[in-house]
Amino acid sequence: MAGALVVLGAGHYGWALLMAEETWQVVGLLALAGMATIAAYKTGFVRRVERDWAEAEPQLNRLAFAVLIGLILVLAGSHFALLMISTVLLYFIASLGLNIQFGFTGLVNFAGAAFFGAGAYTAAVLGAQALIPPLLILIAGGIVAMAISLPLLVPIVRTTGHYAAVVTIAFGVLFRTFLEVNEILGGPQGLMVESMKLPGWDFYNAPNLFGFETSFYLNYALMAAGLAALVFALFRRLERSWIGLHMDAVRLDETAAACFGISVRKTKILAFLLGNLILGVSGALYGMMISFIAPASFTFSDSLLLVSIVLLGGLGSPWGGVVAATIVVLLPEKLQLLQEYRFLLFSILVILVLLFRPEGLLPRHLRNFFPNRRTGA
Amino acid sequence: MKFNTRKSLRAVVFSVGTSASLLAAVAAQAKDTVELGFIGPLTGGVSSMGLGGRNSAELAVQLRNADPNSKYHYELVALDDECKPNVGVQVATKLATDRKVVGTIAHYCSAVAMGTVDVYHRFGLPMTVWGAVLPDITYGNDYPEITRVNGTMINQNEKAASVMTGLGYKTFAIIHDTTDYGKGHNTYLTQFLTEGGASVVGAFGVTADQQDFTAELTQVKALNPDVVVYAGLTPGGVRVRQQMEKLGIEAVFEGVSGIKSDAFFEGLGGELAEGTMTFLEGAPAEKLPGGAYFLKEYEAAGFDSPPEAYGPFAFAAMDLLIDAVEASGPDRKAIVEYMGGVKEHASITGPITFDDHGQNTVALITAYVAQDGKWVVWEDSEYASGARKLVAPK
Repeated sequence: MAGALVVLGAGHYGWALLMAEETWQVVGLLALAGMATIAAYKTGFVRRVERDWAEAEPQLNRLAFAVLIGLILVLAGSHFALLMISTVLLYFIASLGLNIQFGFTGLVNFAGAAFFGAGAYTAAVLGAQALIPPLLILIAGGIVAMAISLPLLVPIVRTTGHYAAVVTIAFGVLFRTFLEVNEILGGPQGLMVESMKLPGWDFYNAPNLFGFETSFYLNYALMAAGLAALVFALFRRLERSWIGLHMDAVRLDETAAACFGISVRKTKILAFLLGNLILGVSGALYGMMISFIAPASFTFSDSLLLVSIVLLGGLGSPWGGVVAATIVVLLPEKLQLLQEYRFLLFSILVILVLLFRPEGLLPRHLRNFFPNRRTGA
Repeated sequence: MKFNTRKSLRAVVFSVGTSASLLAAVAAQAKDTVELGFIGPLTGGVSSMGLGGRNSAELAVQLRNADPNSKYHYELVALDDECKPNVGVQVATKLATDRKVVGTIAHYCSAVAMGTVDVYHRFGLPMTVWGAVLPDITYGNDYPEITRVNGTMINQNEKAASVMTGLGYKTFAIIHDTTDYGKGHNTYLTQFLTEGGASVVGAFGVTADQQDFTAELTQVKALNPDVVVYAGLTPGGVRVRQQMEKLGIEAVFEGVSGIKSDAFFEGLGGELAEGTMTFLEGAPAEKLPGGAYFLKEYEAAGFDSPPEAYGPFAFAAMDLLIDAVEASGPDRKAIVEYMGGVKEHASITGPITFDDHGQNTVALITAYVAQDGKWVVWEDSEYASGARKLVAPK
């Protein structure tokens, strides 16, 4: 019950935050969230929510998805709110990819935006040719992101910790420079991206729901929601599988993992490629939605933003990722009213959160092998 | 206890709203409020340009609100595009889908403007560019919503070609970087030079961060042109000039707007830089037709950052937009129509006339020459008066 209440409450809160226009509304909502969190801790409500989640996760996940779709439909007419929801969802999907690398396997990837961008650029190039159906372009975006990470495998596997991180930073810089000097890929000025098309359904046009004029972003919001649900389910299943166990073992102690016969190399390669695949797919859909991309959109600071979603949410915690993606994407936008000071306030908020919750907003719990098990307590 | 927290929260909220906006709200009661947008880079590497533009637009709004004859009360909605296309699309969508906003001036960064023009067109929001210079923003589409008050690299090169050929130079060698910026300059400069009767004896593409230009310059030396042009940014310009000296090339060195910075002198020292020509959209604010007025008001308004090179254009664009609202009412379609017919419209940057793509055709371009370690407006320089001489045409 408590869990369902939180899901519904979060949906309502999301609606309020998207609709908030005035500074006092935004500040008020932030204060409300802070106070509600403190109150939940003081009254022991948090423990009940956690128990609910452990007992009935599948049902609650489905409820959350339903609330998300409901939220999207309620906002069907407002372009900007839907653009923000879609952006949050796509960044969330990207953060799941990073979580497989970073949260599970302990591979720090500081080139997240590069792989995200590789997907977007694939969408731009393939969309312009119109040779293959756009739905396949999404997958192609993931495959290209994966393919360009192949040359990185050798240094990633041979190095550990900080050294691997430096390798990815170098790659991120390399990727951007490559785009800027590359004439075919639009150079520094960027490229147009064709919109998403399903058979008989062009995402450029606004769908007409029961005679009600909606926004064309509704298409992208629904698609992003579907994709997020799919990747989320995959992520959870991966976590419960033996692969997830191997990844955790590798992160915690490589030597011990190797002693138990786990191939550290194979596990790292799998995590790195799978994570980049997810990053590429979400990047491809993001490119189609934004419809114009340039190297300036995929810089090192964007990679840091993705890493900060993972850290802020809690390593390996997908639900934390949802909350963190909302904060990282929506908050700077809502603070536009502060103009040049908005990133200052945003940074202070992030530091405050990590000060009081050093393990992230919703730290990862022990893996739940039997999500439908009743504890009886 | 609970009452107290709420009370203090309220106090905080109130202190956030500035007293200025409260005063404005009181004054507004008599007239209908019209919201106008501003988009530019308010954070990040080029934020000084964005802040200067924002302040200048704000100034245009304040001055009009102080005018008792204005029909409406104006309010500025300023948003930050961070000089990133994806953020630009986001804030443009926010502004364009807000029905209260009837028009906007936007963008310093060309790549951002390229990404957002579709958004404005799609939602029918009239947008006037105040800073971005890429020709394609206005010429790459047929959107009636998009207009631009500042010049493009087309205007810049037209002026550059006419000034240089006017001084009697006939043969040019162009070294350009391979970004859109460098390539665009090469294309337009070649076009206008050829039309002006001069000839381009050689053009060489180089990467934006090339260090050694000896190979290109050796060929240039053999061609023996009157003028060596570098179309790119300051670091490349500094190196080309240094290496020209090393190879003993006797020619005028000409740059484009990208080298007009103080860093050019820091890199070269005054002596080598001496006599370098370059061209820039606009003019020093004090040289503009309404520059003295603009600077005086800007000073009086007490902004904490300078207007920068494009501030006057942001002011002119916002002023034009307000004129459009005054003339045709706060309606997007009417404003788009009004903008389509703008001819010889008075502004502080000189009269504005839009062509059929919404580009200001009488955009102001100023020629500069390096003199004693400073960029001096050509007409005021000792070179123009004859006290000093550039390398003579061959």
